[in-house]
Amino acid sequence: MSNTAFSYQDLLQIVDLIKTSTQFNEFHLKVGDIELDIRRGEPAARPAPAVAVAPAAPAPATPLPTSVTPVVAAPPPAANVEPHRSAPLAFPAGSLLVKSPMVGTFYRAPEPGAKPFTEVGARVTAESLVGIVEVMKLMNSIPAGQAGVVTHILVEDGEPVQYGQVLVVIEPGSAA
Amino acid sequence: MSGQKFGLIDVTLRDGHQCLWSTRMTTAMMTPIIDRIDAVGYEYINILGGAVFDVCVRFLHENPFERVGLLCERFATPCDGLTRGQSLYTFELFPDDVVALNSFALAKRGIKVLTVYDALNDNRNIESSVRSGHEAGMQVNAMMTYTLSPVHDDAYYVARTKELVAMKVEFISVKDPTGLLTPERAKTLFPAVVAAAGTIPVQLHSHCQSGLAPEVYSVAIESGFRYGYTASRPLANGASLPATEDVAARAAALGRATGIDTATLDEVSGYFAWLCEREGLPQGKIMQYDPALYEHQVPGGMISNLKAQLQVMKMEHRLPEILEEAAQVRRDLGYPILVSPFAQYIITQAVMNVVQGERYKTIPDEVRKYAMGYYGRLAAQPSAEFLERAKLKPGELVSERPGEHVAPALPRLRHELGAGASDEDLLLAAFYAPELIAPLRKPQPDYQFRTSPLYELIRYLGNKQDISAARVRFAGTELNVST
Repeated sequence: MSNTAFSYQDLLQIVDLIKTSTQFNEFHLKVGDIELDIRRGEPAARPAPAVAVAPAAPAPATPLPTSVTPVVAAPPPAANVEPHRSAPLAFPAGSLLVKSPMVGTFYRAPEPGAKPFTEVGARVTAESLVGIVEVMKLMNSIPAGQAGVVTHILVEDGEPVQYGQVLVVIEPGSAA
Repeated sequence: MSGQKFGLIDVTLRDGHQCLWSTRMTTAMMTPIIDRIDAVGYEYINILGGAVFDVCVRFLHENPFERVGLLCERFATPCDGLTRGQSLYTFELFPDDVVALNSFALAKRGIKVLTVYDALNDNRNIESSVRSGHEAGMQVNAMMTYTLSPVHDDAYYVARTKELVAMKVEFISVKDPTGLLTPERAKTLFPAVVAAAGTIPVQLHSHCQSGLAPEVYSVAIESGFRYGYTASRPLANGASLPATEDVAARAAALGRATGIDTATLDEVSGYFAWLCEREGLPQGKIMQYDPALYEHQVPGGMISNLKAQLQVMKMEHRLPEILEEAAQVRRDLGYPILVSPFAQYIITQAVMNVVQGERYKTIPDEVRKYAMGYYGRLAAQPSAEFLERAKLKPGELVSERPGEHVAPALPRLRHELGAGASDEDLLLAAFYAPELIAPLRKPQPDYQFRTSPLYELIRYLGNKQDISAARVRFAGTELNVST
């Protein structure tokens, strides 16, 4: 340690010593021009393996999130799937099931607050969009794939969807 | 060129913490060391970038314009601010009027060098920034992004350099965001760029993922580059840039002075090492050379993120297959550079191809728009297979400058915000939803503009819960504290 000026390197060394000496109640240090005495609180009141709890430095003002880049919404745990919302067991024969291409989030409208792409009872063409599935922040437009009438919309706006999950059911027929 | 100065540009307050701390350095962490950084001898100090601006707003709830103003006012060293060209601080395209207003707002806050780049290296996407940057009185540094592909050869970068020379920028930079440059590659590329740049000084901005960056800086110094971007050691290396300490020593060994004062730099690095300890944040570690980096080129942060996402889908075991598919998708898409947002496009498309067991069964809207040329010129034509599956109609292809198809936004914003709105209010409203802007109006805290190791020690002791009493004696002063 330098005798002339107290540097950041000295500070880091001292703090390292303080952190590795938590099993002692008193801490005395004299190096060069600096002298430091520390007394710790009642040993009984302190959690025993203090070293393992280190670092005790103040928490960062802004916690680091685990990731900055977007993460795909987790699929809902199976137990949480409400029975009334699961797909009906049978659709009219010949119904077209529009399925999700990926794990992602389903949106019924092009943007929040906008008019939904389609509603139950609406006539659609093969190119009509019935929703968007967001995968890792990218938007995948979901076309009906066949002309007909929308008979069911099985997923709410903003709900997470699984790969292959049925989103919309269409009864084929010529578009109006 | 021996004897000519090799100037260093500090990135500790920008890319250093962007790469190592997820951009979470607050203004309060910067202010105590400003006067020391100012005395290190840097030619410029880079204080702003896309992620810094965005994280200030979204996570730190700090007004980024206030930070820029405070730093520019305190630093005597000229400050450099980086934007993503037509996308400014985000990944969407903004109209020319917003881009121009932003240039004027930064100049007004004291930015002296506006650094701009486009992730596709389509220099039409920085035209609007260069023009308005000059009009606002700033110098402009234009960056070309380096990548590895059959089309990104020396001739490609020489052509881009010539475009920048014609745009009359003051500096040209080679930017290597994923640390892919090797000394061998640099030995032909760098002299070619320097020759094409003529009298315009060339700068190097390369990251350390491969562990080769310091060596690449040596090649830059030998090739006649005039500036290098570096960070104070605790915030250098790893995914960040090389340490100022190391590059200054290399320059000196090659007969080029940097003007760096090592004693002051030691103090600055000491402060940041202490900040890492105090805040529980990591220091950059020197990376081992890893040849795998060159195979898929997917940035490390993106791989760890992808792994987490695959875990959710119970598909972790398919990671190698997805990385292989990503290489194929990149070829099919005409070799976009693996930086945001295009790295995201490639990875997402690769995951969908693998999951669906069929290539391009589903193509995200953004990927189609990219292939249409909506975001700018592609480095190479997309493959026939991709074009066929994407069913791109000739009428959908975009050939005009991307900024042209974005309608001016300022008249609408002025109308919505009213006559009392400042230029910065208009810009923030152009970038963010009102609920994100509201928290930025809180008054600035009382920043501390000085600190010392002794001060930090006392502060540390005061914050330690288990210490009931402490006595510090130093240079004739005695301090007693107890709870």
